[in-house]
Amino acid sequence: MKDIKTAIFIAYKSLVKGSKSTLLLLVFILALSYLNMMFISGILAGLQNVFETTMINVLTSHITVGPEQEPEPKQYILNADQVRRQIESIPGVLATARHYSLAGSISFDKDKNGITKSVSGTIIGIDPIQEEKVLTIYRLLKNGQYLSPTDTDQIIISSALAGGYGVPAPSDLGGVRAKDKVKITYPNGVIRTYTVKGIYDDTIGIFETFITTREAESVLNTYNSASQILVKTDLSLNTLNGYEHKIKLLEPKLKVQNFLDILGTVAAFLNALNLISFIVGFISVLVAAITIFVLVYINAISKARQIGILRAIGIKQRIVVLSYVLQSLFYAFCGVLAGAFLVFAVLTPLLNRYPINIDFGYLSLVHRKMVVVLGTISLVAAGLLAGFVPARIVAKKDILKAIWG
Amino acid sequence: MITVTDLKKTYEGKVPTPALKGISFEIKDGEFVAVMGRSGSGKSTLLHQLGLLDRPTSGKIILNNSDVLALSDQKRTIFRLKELGYVFQEYALISEFDAWENVYLPSLALKGTPDKKRAQELLELVGLADRLDHYPNELSGGEQQRVAIARALINSPKVLFADEPTANLDSASSQTVLKLFLKLNQEFKQTIVMVTHEPEDKKYVHRVLWLSDGLLEKEEKTGKKY
Ligand SMILES: Nc1ncnc2c1ncn2[C@@H]1O[C@H](COP(=O)(O)OP(=O)(O)OP(=O)(O)O)[C@@H](O)[C@H]1O
Ligand SMILES: [Mg+2]
Repeated sequence: MKDIKTAIFIAYKSLVKGSKSTLLLLVFILALSYLNMMFISGILAGLQNVFETTMINVLTSHITVGPEQEPEPKQYILNADQVRRQIESIPGVLATARHYSLAGSISFDKDKNGITKSVSGTIIGIDPIQEEKVLTIYRLLKNGQYLSPTDTDQIIISSALAGGYGVPAPSDLGGVRAKDKVKITYPNGVIRTYTVKGIYDDTIGIFETFITTREAESVLNTYNSASQILVKTDLSLNTLNGYEHKIKLLEPKLKVQNFLDILGTVAAFLNALNLISFIVGFISVLVAAITIFVLVYINAISKARQIGILRAIGIKQRIVVLSYVLQSLFYAFCGVLAGAFLVFAVLTPLLNRYPINIDFGYLSLVHRKMVVVLGTISLVAAGLLAGFVPARIVAKKDILKAIWG
Repeated sequence: MITVTDLKKTYEGKVPTPALKGISFEIKDGEFVAVMGRSGSGKSTLLHQLGLLDRPTSGKIILNNSDVLALSDQKRTIFRLKELGYVFQEYALISEFDAWENVYLPSLALKGTPDKKRAQELLELVGLADRLDHYPNELSGGEQQRVAIARALINSPKVLFADEPTANLDSASSQTVLKLFLKLNQEFKQTIVMVTHEPEDKKYVHRVLWLSDGLLEKEEKTGKKY
């Protein structure tokens, strides 16, 4: 106890009377490291967030229910409306929508000269009313209008497929706009001509065409079935896995997947982001630790004589070391505080107000609790270690050598 | 109080330097002893061994009935804090502490609470009552040395060691410091071992240990009573 008191006294006086420029430099470096770590992890988490949100909104919703797989894969979920009602009875499920997925080849004669361009893509049959509650395609129209349930000769297509938006791709249709006519050839031989009612901004470059359920059932000759049922949930009430589990209890035979399962490669990409964020954080901590080490070491060496005197008059080595560790703790605390101020009081609110516009959404900083806690702890720990080691090296020196060199 | 038996110290190095070649003597409680001798005769080396700032090559040192060479480093540190006072040739104050703090720091380390009152009294004793809150760089050399003496006394040491405490001081300041030592010895029966190269300092002490080339050449009684 008296050792701690003495160490606190020595540390306090050193901080108050010691070099202010060293103090400022240390705090500055720590604050920057903290900022760097939190900014990179925050922006990557933000990126991931935007990406996932986009996926959920335009492609997969939270959970996708597919047809039976056992004993042999079925093509459709039968009695789809009944299945939907069952799923919707689960607390926290916000809405469901059924999809027919068809393959098809879309042809467009741009210059009306008989030369057509054909592109294959996914054709999805939707009920426009149900769909609005699950996917946000209806809000993403760039051109034209959204489908209504009775449209059988109209479709909407993704901007990537239409072409002429953003980066041109040789494989797109070369610039389809609303009111243009396209021809779709289905695998079962049905060929139909549609008027494009709208073009939606798919934001992630997928080739998709939406037709109405009614039209899909007419092409496929089915009724009240679905290739998938998309389920939108409230994730504040239960987890993704929790909902999955409840749906499986109701519909044990159907194939239930969440959006992460479906987006296999995308999930891998998101994992890569996490890894990058971890590496960047680690390097930040390392750089901070090395800098503190060097500064504390230089500081301790320049005070070797004083340390020698302290030990000569009977101050224990561990008190001297502790006093340095306490000083480092103070630096680390100030650094983290300054860094946290920059991140949470300046940068994050700023980016929330003025998010960065990236192609598929608006990017702002997202801070995961665990990353913040871990980052803070590791930076403080690095600061402590970087203060402890040099202080110990100098305090262990022979007393007379320390005083007279 | 101090019993030294056949103390040897050889500095290892490319060429080993024998600085103490077997010294034995005794110092009694309340004695004021000077260590004298030519430059390089081993005076500082001897004081470093007595002050537990270094470890001798061989020999025995009994300080206040403790075989101090048998102690662990940690115990030696506590022994220095509790039983010994040491005044260096240069002013060895902590630059970040003011005079008062410099003096009471060892009492804080020993007891956990700083003995501020005693520190103040000691600073008064050394004539620096009005310099309590001065930092070392705001004190003259002589004043710094007196602060160092006050610091050495804060925990009431059994022995006060001083290695040429006046070497860097002008003659007026030197007189102040030496008179202070005399007063400490006479009024408070403080045992003092002081290295000096000033022959006239003899008049303050009871006894002189003359070192020559690492050996105790002779012990000279000055005739002063203690
Ligand atoms: N750290 C050291 N390493 C090697 N040799 C040393 C060391 N310190 C002292 N010596 C040698 O030991 C001998 C005694 O040195 P010491 O400092 O004890 O002399 P001194 O009597 O105090 O001299 P002075 O009056 O000049 O202070 C000298 O020859 C010196 O060169
Ligand atoms: Mg000397």
